Amino acid sequence: MSSSLSALPRTHTPGARALRIGLYLMLALFALYYITPLLVLVATAFKTPDEIRTGSLLSLPLAPTLDAWRTAWNQACIGADCRGLAPYFWNSVAIAVPGVLLSTALGALNGFALTKFRFRGANVVFGLMLFGSFLPFQLVLLPMAQTLGFLGMAGTTQGLVLVHVVYGLAFTTLFFRNYYVSLPDELVKAAIIDGAGFVQIFTRIILPMSPPIIVVTVIWQFTQIWNDFLFGASFAAGGAQPITVALNNLVNTTTGVKQYNVDMAGALIAGLPTLIVYVLAGRYFIRGLTAGSVKG
Amino acid sequence: MATLTIDRVRKRYHHQEVLKGIDLDLNDGEFLVLLGPSGCGKSTLLNLIAGLDEITDGEIRIDGRVVNGVHPKDRDIAMVFQSYALYPTMSVARNIGFGLEMRKVPKAEREAAVRKVAALLQIEHLLERKPAQLSGGQRQRVAMGRALVRDPKVFLFDEPLSNLDARLRIDMRTEIKKLHQRLGSTIVYVTHDQIEAMTLATRIAIMKEGVVQQFAPPQEIYERPANMYVAGFVGSPPMNFLPAVVAVEKDRLGLFVKCEAHGAWSDVFLPLPPQVPVQLGNGLAEHVGREVVLGLRPEHITRAGSDLASGQVVVEASVGVLEPTGADTLAYIGLGGQDTVARVKPADAPRTGETASFALDLGSASLFEPKSGARI
Ligand SMILES: Nc1ncnc2c1ncn2[C@@H]1O[C@H](COP(=O)(O)OP(=O)(O)OP(=O)(O)O)[C@@H](O)[C@H]1O
Ligand SMILES: [Mg+2]
Repeated sequence: MSSSLSALPRTHTPGARALRIGLYLMLALFALYYITPLLVLVATAFKTPDEIRTGSLLSLPLAPTLDAWRTAWNQACIGADCRGLAPYFWNSVAIAVPGVLLSTALGALNGFALTKFRFRGANVVFGLMLFGSFLPFQLVLLPMAQTLGFLGMAGTTQGLVLVHVVYGLAFTTLFFRNYYVSLPDELVKAAIIDGAGFVQIFTRIILPMSPPIIVVTVIWQFTQIWNDFLFGASFAAGGAQPITVALNNLVNTTTGVKQYNVDMAGALIAGLPTLIVYVLAGRYFIRGLTAGSVKG
Repeated sequence: MATLTIDRVRKRYHHQEVLKGIDLDLNDGEFLVLLGPSGCGKSTLLNLIAGLDEITDGEIRIDGRVVNGVHPKDRDIAMVFQSYALYPTMSVARNIGFGLEMRKVPKAEREAAVRKVAALLQIEHLLERKPAQLSGGQRQRVAMGRALVRDPKVFLFDEPLSNLDARLRIDMRTEIKKLHQRLGSTIVYVTHDQIEAMTLATRIAIMKEGVVQQFAPPQEIYERPANMYVAGFVGSPPMNFLPAVVAVEKDRLGLFVKCEAHGAWSDVFLPLPPQVPVQLGNGLAEHVGREVVLGLRPEHITRAGSDLASGQVVVEASVGVLEPTGADTLAYIGLGGQDTVARVKPADAPRTGETASFALDLGSASLFEPKSGARI
C-alpha cells in the first residue's frame, strides 16, 4: 500500500517541502528516542567495568569484550547461587515451550469446535472465554495459587506451565476462532459427507490451512510466557524460577560493586529469544493478524 | 440410483418456519430442479436431504428407507456446493479421492476410481494441482468429480454453476445434462436460474417462502402454471397479466379486455375458443360477470397474418416502445389498460405510434383468480 501511495505524483510547493522535512525530523527524533536505551544496553554489555566508570554512557566500547556476557551466563551470583543465568534460562525454555505448544493446540481445537462444530451454548462459552482475555493477571493470582496447592503443583515448573496454558487459552481461542470463522462452512459440510469425523476434519483439513494463525499465536504466546514476571515470581520456588525473575534478582543483588556490564548482558540474554522469534517470524505475524480483514 | 421421497417436511429455525410442509416424490433417475427466489428455503431442503441439518417434522426416504436419523456419510448421497468447497491444501486427486479414503477403500482401488472419473470429466492433466491453481470451470469439474467418484444413490447440487461466467455456464449445463443421461442417476439440483431449470429438469419444483407452488415437468410449468407466481417466475420476458371480465355475448363465452386503439381506450370482447380446454370452459361458466386475470405469454401475441390459427383472436392496439432482440422484436402495446409485451417477427414489426392488428392466441392463455392468484 505504501508503495502505491509513494508512486503518486508529489506536490512540489515550498510549503509541502517544509512539511515533509518537518515530518522526517519528527520521525528521526522518535526513532532516536526509542533506540537510545538499546544502544546504551548493547554498548555497556561489551565494556569493561573500568571503561564504564571513566567513559560516557553513550560512548561505544573501545575494546569490546565478552567477559560480561560470560559472567552473566554462568558465573554471576543470584542470591547465594553463583551459577549465572544459564539454569534459569533453561527453566524459561522448559516453561515456555510446553506452555506455547499446549495453549496453541488447545486454542486451535477450541476455535474449531466453536466455529465449525457449533454446539448449543457455543456463543455463551465463547463470550466467557473472551471475558477471560480481559481479566488482569493480578486477579487470578490467589485462585491460581489455591488451585496449584490443591493439585500439589505449587512451586513446580509444571505448575507454571499449567498457569500459562490456562491464562493463555482465552487469547489463543480468540485468535483461532476469528481465523476459522472466515473459513467457509461448506468445507466442513463437504468433509462430513465425505465421511470424515471431528478429529479427521480438524487434522486433515482445518489444521493444514492454519499456519498463518499458528505463527501469530505462537509468537504471541511465546512473548507472553517468556516475558512473564508476575506468575514466575508468584508461583515458582527458588531453583524453578524463570529468567525474568532471575534477572531481577541478579540486578538487585546488593553485595559488592554494581556490575552494570553484567546486568546489561543479562538483560540482553533474557530478551534475545523473543527478539529472534520476532525477526524470524515477524513478517508472518503482521500478515496473520490482518489476514481475513481484507478478504472479509 | 434410487427413489427419493420428501414427505410433509418442515424446518423451523428458532420460531421462524423456513419450510412449511414440503411433499416431493422422485422416481429412479429423475432430475429434480428446485427453483425459487433467494431465501425461499432451497438450500435448507437440500441440507435436510443430505442430513447436514435436522428435520423439524416429516420424513425423508431414500429408496424407501427413512433416513431422518441417519448420518450424512451413511445416506449414500453426494453433494456439490456452490462454492465447490474443495480442500485447498490437497491436490485435485486427493480431493476427489478423499471420500473413498475416509471410507477406507484400498489405495489401488481408490486411484483407479479417481482416474476413471478424471477421464470422464477430462481433468486427468490437473490431478496433481492444488485447487488454487485451477480456473473456475476446472474447479467446478473437480467438485463434480468428488461427487461422481463414490457412485452414490442421490446427487445433490446447490447452485453449482452460479459462480461461472455466462459462456462457461451454458457449456457446463450441457455437460451436466449429458452426464445425467449417461449415468441415469437421481439428482436434486438447486438454482434460481430458470433457463437452467427448464433445460435440465425432468420435473421442477417451484418454491416460494418455504412452500412448493408447483411440482411438474418443465413444459407443463411453462404452459399451465398453477398460479400467477409461477407464471411470472418462469419465462422471459415474463407472462403478461391483463385484467379482464368474463362475459357471454352471442352465446359465446369470452373476456372483456381494455384495448387502446387510435389513441382511445375501449373494452374489447375476446371470444374464447369453443374447443379450448374443457376444464377451463367448465370452470368459467360460474365466473361470468366477474373479474379474472388473463395470462398471455409474449409469444402468444403476434402480428395478425392472413389466416388465423384456431384459438386466435385479432385486436387492434397502438404500439409504444420497440425492443429488437435479434431473433424477435418485443413490442409494447396498449392492451389490458397497461403496456403489454408482444413478441413479433422483426420483418413484420410495426412502427412506434401506429395502431396495428395483433393476433392473441387465447388457446394457450391461462386464467387466474385475481385475489388468490390461483389458476382457474
Ligand atoms: N441456520 C439458520 N438459522 C436461522 N435461519 C436460517 C438458517 N439457515 C437459513 N435460514 C433462513 O432460512 C431461509 C431459507 O434459507 P436458504 O438458505 O434455504 O435459502 P435459499 O433458497 O437457498 O436462498 P439462496 O438462493 O439465496 O441460496 C432464509 O430466510 C434464511 O434466513
Ligand atoms: Mg442457497
